[in-house]
Amino acid sequence: MELYFISKSNLNRLALALSKTYKVFAPVKTGDNRYFKKIGEEGLETAVIGEIRAVEPVKSFYFPARAKVAEYFSKEHPAEEEKPIAIIGAKSCDLASFRVMDYVFGRDPFKDPLYISRREENLIISSDCTCFGETCFCVAIGIMPYPTENFDINLSEIDCGYIAEAGSAKGKSVIKEYSKLFQPVAEPYPERREASRKSLKEDLLEHVKKSSIPPKDAIQPLFKKKFDTNLWEETAKTCVECGACNMICPACHCFVIKDQGKKQGFERLRLWDSCLLLSFARVAGGANPRKLLSQRLRNRFDKKFNFFPDMIGSFGCTGCGRCSEACPGKIDIRKVLSNLQA
Amino acid sequence: MENPYLPVKTEVLEVIEESSTIKTFRLKPEVPLYFKAGQFIEMTIPGKGEAPFTPSSSPYEKDKLEITIMKAGKITGLIHNLKKGDIVGLRGPYGKEYPLSEFEGKDILLVGGGVGLAPLRALFLALAHDIEKYKSVLFCCGSKTPSDIIYKDFILDKWQNLDKKKIKFRITVDKKDDKWKGNVGLVTTTLDKLELDLNKSVAIVCGPPIMMKFGTFKLIEVGYKPEQIYLSMEKNMSCGFGKCGHCRLGDFYACKDGPVFRYDKISHIHEIWD
Repeated sequence: MELYFISKSNLNRLALALSKTYKVFAPVKTGDNRYFKKIGEEGLETAVIGEIRAVEPVKSFYFPARAKVAEYFSKEHPAEEEKPIAIIGAKSCDLASFRVMDYVFGRDPFKDPLYISRREENLIISSDCTCFGETCFCVAIGIMPYPTENFDINLSEIDCGYIAEAGSAKGKSVIKEYSKLFQPVAEPYPERREASRKSLKEDLLEHVKKSSIPPKDAIQPLFKKKFDTNLWEETAKTCVECGACNMICPACHCFVIKDQGKKQGFERLRLWDSCLLLSFARVAGGANPRKLLSQRLRNRFDKKFNFFPDMIGSFGCTGCGRCSEACPGKIDIRKVLSNLQA
Repeated sequence: MENPYLPVKTEVLEVIEESSTIKTFRLKPEVPLYFKAGQFIEMTIPGKGEAPFTPSSSPYEKDKLEITIMKAGKITGLIHNLKKGDIVGLRGPYGKEYPLSEFEGKDILLVGGGVGLAPLRALFLALAHDIEKYKSVLFCCGSKTPSDIIYKDFILDKWQNLDKKKIKFRITVDKKDDKWKGNVGLVTTTLDKLELDLNKSVAIVCGPPIMMKFGTFKLIEVGYKPEQIYLSMEKNMSCGFGKCGHCRLGDFYACKDGPVFRYDKISHIHEIWD
């Protein structure tokens, strides 16, 4: 493991330097929440590197809510040169969602060109959570509140700076390129990083206990058992079919394709879609395998806690708790999981 | 990297009226799409959107293909307005085809209803092309009324003489008219008294959901085992390659793992008949 120290002021210098080649985004706090904001001349002055995940999922930078995926029947236009994106302050729950996204968009055949190029070109400088939100439950499903995968460089806050860990060749080369900003790191810092990680993990485990979520390995078998029960009608009682849970989820990947005309030729857009909507699985003849809202809500849990474990050995949920915060019907994913064993 | 969302420019060569709600479109894509019977394509109305269809023409025809489409929704409504010379888009083919090698040496029963005859026509033409490989083909076709029968010239005439020993038909309508002399009843009524070796037979079903369901149940009743029955599950296949999420059926996506499924592989999945 390659560990370095970078001071807060040097991290700011790094962000400014990176903004020459990247569009740099970092979480900025508004009220109680954090939102990704493009970093300008002010650098990381208002950015929150620690704390918890931003409101919007990191998937937006790889699988945008609305993206042009094709232009057709028009003369070839050279692709617009756009700077790749660097994200500073991505959290573990968002990085874990790349397991799902890479499986969906990054696999042969039919790799998704936009996703692949962003995965290749973007830079992720992630960071440890330094606290947890009320709805956070990552540890209950085996994800740590600090990044363990899918980062180029990770930052762990310590005193007046961060311990930086390279997680990829790209991360190593950034550290090499800006080596003046990094210093060697010595004990007691690595030990202190482990201590703060352990302490946050324990606090979060204690917090999550209150939700009585079944043990990680029991979730899929319990879901199968509860498939044909009235749990889903009960849960769907307050669902208003808005799709907020899908939009805000770092691992929801469903989309709809829409075409439109332009000055010359046509363009094809890909927009986020929600499996809670009545028309999601409907076909033109009117047949619909999931006519009932309870079936559609169950389908969401089926996908996350039954389908993805079978496909990739991981849940399609990363325990970020965003859906519980977003739901106007107060459907709490932790409560649904807890009800699996009721 | 190839862009999987990009359609191929395609000319409409001919529009054939099959019934009051069904038309067949003869198409020539700029770049040929080599499909196998049972696979599907996405057809684009430029600037308006696209929908999935299984070609109905012979997979042996290389540069042109036919798609038979019932007017059922927004895109199919626009498709029905197409005329000779119009330009559409095609992408594909996608999904798994009928496993023809598993059908070799067997009595093959095709059960189709309404516009569900479309994929079966492509399959039938592929089987007829290599008929020496198969023991026999019995094509059971159901339609609402005699005027709803599609591919009339073929089903009622040309195909009847392809190979009288090996290729047979049972044609029925739900409701007859004054001129109809043939069978009357749902397509399931043609599945009694099958003169074939059930142990060495496969059945392929394609039609509206209700027909798929009761057709399958009837096949089980007459002695077919689930592993001898193949179904075309035409779900909401939007992207066509297992990404958009719309056509998921349990652990499968109809678009990439189907649309042709062996019944025993999906019989445990809820919601397959809806």
